Amino acid sequence: MTTVTVSGLAKHYGSTTALAAVDLAIGVGVTGLLGPNGAGKSTLLRCLATALAADSGSVRMFGLDPAVPADRTEIRRRIGYLPQNPGLYPNFTAYDLLDYVAVLKEITDTRQRRAEVRRVLAEVELTDRAQTRVRRLSGGMRQRLGLAQALLGDPDLVILDEPTVGLDPEQRMLFRALISRLGEQRTVLLSTHQTEDVGALCERVVVMNGGRVVFEGRPRDLAGVAEGRVWLSAAPPEGSAAYWRNADGLYRTIGDAPAGAEAARPGIEDGYLMLLGRTAVEVAR
Amino acid sequence: MPPVSEQSSDADLLRAIAAGQTAALRLLHHRHAGWLRARLRRRCADPDVVDAAIQDTFVAVWKDAHRFAETTADPAAWLWTIAVRRLVSALRGPAHRWLSGPAADVPDDARTVPSAEELVLLGVEHGALGPALDRLSPELRRLIEATALDGLTVREAAQLLGIPEGTAKTRLMRARTRLRQLLA
Amino acid sequence: MNDWHIDAGLLGEYERGELDPSRAMAVEAHMQACPPCRSSIRVDFTWLTGNWSVVYDHVHAPKAGPGHRLLRRLGLPEHRIRLLTATPALRWSWLAATVTVLGLAVAAAWLLRSGAGGAVLATSFLILAPVLPVVAVSGAYGPPADPMHEITGTTPSAGPALVLWRAISVIGVAMTMAATAGVLLPGPGWFAVAWLLPALLLCTGTLALATALALPVAAATLGGLWLAGVLAASRLVHGEPFLSVVFGPTAQLGYLAAAVAAAAVLILRRRRFDLGASR
Repeated sequence: MTTVTVSGLAKHYGSTTALAAVDLAIGVGVTGLLGPNGAGKSTLLRCLATALAADSGSVRMFGLDPAVPADRTEIRRRIGYLPQNPGLYPNFTAYDLLDYVAVLKEITDTRQRRAEVRRVLAEVELTDRAQTRVRRLSGGMRQRLGLAQALLGDPDLVILDEPTVGLDPEQRMLFRALISRLGEQRTVLLSTHQTEDVGALCERVVVMNGGRVVFEGRPRDLAGVAEGRVWLSAAPPEGSAAYWRNADGLYRTIGDAPAGAEAARPGIEDGYLMLLGRTAVEVAR
Repeated sequence: MPPVSEQSSDADLLRAIAAGQTAALRLLHHRHAGWLRARLRRRCADPDVVDAAIQDTFVAVWKDAHRFAETTADPAAWLWTIAVRRLVSALRGPAHRWLSGPAADVPDDARTVPSAEELVLLGVEHGALGPALDRLSPELRRLIEATALDGLTVREAAQLLGIPEGTAKTRLMRARTRLRQLLA
Repeated sequence: MNDWHIDAGLLGEYERGELDPSRAMAVEAHMQACPPCRSSIRVDFTWLTGNWSVVYDHVHAPKAGPGHRLLRRLGLPEHRIRLLTATPALRWSWLAATVTVLGLAVAAAWLLRSGAGGAVLATSFLILAPVLPVVAVSGAYGPPADPMHEITGTTPSAGPALVLWRAISVIGVAMTMAATAGVLLPGPGWFAVAWLLPALLLCTGTLALATALALPVAAATLGGLWLAGVLAASRLVHGEPFLSVVFGPTAQLGYLAAAVAAAAVLILRRRRFDLGASR
């Protein structure tokens, strides 16, 4: 089922193009938005989160139009959003902060609100930190608190901008487990520049570069983009700028085959790098 | 303050609670709420009042855990004294008081509590006191129970049983005389 | 203690209330001293977590301060009070600064009340008082005053209603403080109220202008215009009449009319307070 449909979405900041005619359809499950800094990921997510109005193009979420005020409020009732810089009030305790956001999310009944705050705290394993003020939480805990506020009110669409930044491996595991559980029934859209996140938990991946969607499909298809273009050789390849030495002491390169090289199985990262290289050339032209 | 776990002693949990760790309060609650409930229900038939008294107890513990450090009491005995006093104050007013009682119900020491152990040493289980207690009339026995076993003052015992304080005093006196006769 | 422990049969009889009174008392006395026997009492986990959640909420839920209790007495529902009291501009630093400035002004005016200095101070209070609520409003909503504006702005409560609630809460506090200072100030009685209509105009004007500019910019613009205007008036008209020009009946009527106009603009353009609306 399609939750979000985007067509011809564009956004400019002065003379800078953040989004250039983006077309996209997103359904239930976890979708990863991959791309370098400045690719337009955050701008797209902010448009979908109703934090930003686009210049042109159209968006439909749950069949509603965020450009129409009444629809926009209805959309906001059904989304949870973790911005890249959440700016959680430092003087609030974790509990107070969630209680406050729950009020903004129209959970007006006190008893119901408390139960909901307790539920999301347990989801992100911050139950025993509820009393701690935001400024005294570690970076990873703050990020989890940010996720918790996005989950208040059990939204149908969860939009997470760089949710795994600043997490240690243990917290990253907790995050992945939580997000993949969410994705069983809801639409989760998250941005990242970590290809491992995409491989670990996304059913679909969207690659953006220069304000455009350059790939849309399954993570395995993204790896397939580099099929027959990844090589391993014993000596450093000549004439190739991008290569590195892997753990086995072999040189890995993407592109044309160097002399005496063997073809290697491509990963998601290889496909991603291939795409970025290609679009970089296109943009330059 | 080291982190607490299921294995921490009650006294360690109370110290951690005094330092503001809610995890310790949760462990203490999960460890003690069950038996407190069973014991309170024998004194009050309304399960809602019993549940509220238990909740009240742990809120009071959260606020006053630091006062435990000043006592030499056993943590379980200390908890019981708070819980039974919370039950008394819940039953006191026309409307039940809800999580708002003064901290004065928290005992500074559990001086009254060792009498429960005395009761055991006296041999409730095997000795002559058991049959003697069973032969006491229920209203007299409940007063003995409230004062000697639960550690309540005569006034609190009167409130728990819903009788005037003066009546409680005379009944307690009668109960002691009667027990002495039965044990003679 | 001794080696005697409560076995399952005895415990069952105790829990069902089937024991002789003296045996029940013995069980309880033993339980209090014996951790293993205490923990052998069966607890329904649903009951346990339900009971705990009430304790948890009580320990963690936001404590009601004096302002909170006052608003509750006024009949405001709990969630509205949460919205009002969590307004980002209502920080202790801001409250302390405002109270200090006003307190110093009143104290200085009393110390200097016989000399010309006192009159100057009272006059500057009249001129500065309307700006206080505007400064407060500038931090009420949106970037950069509210660091959490992206989360706040994408909740269903976002938009004009939230802006107004927050503005009302800061204006209310600022006006109360300024009014207290006005009453304490030496000088003609009308000094205590003369600044109210200009303050109203500046606040509604700031909000109306904020439908086109960022809130802090709008506040600075109008606050600056007011100060510049008063300064210009003091240059043009000399002596006591200056005050009656700026705060006299004609001027006050003008402020009221302008405030009404600003309110109309505000109502017409209120949708612009929404992050998701195009400007």
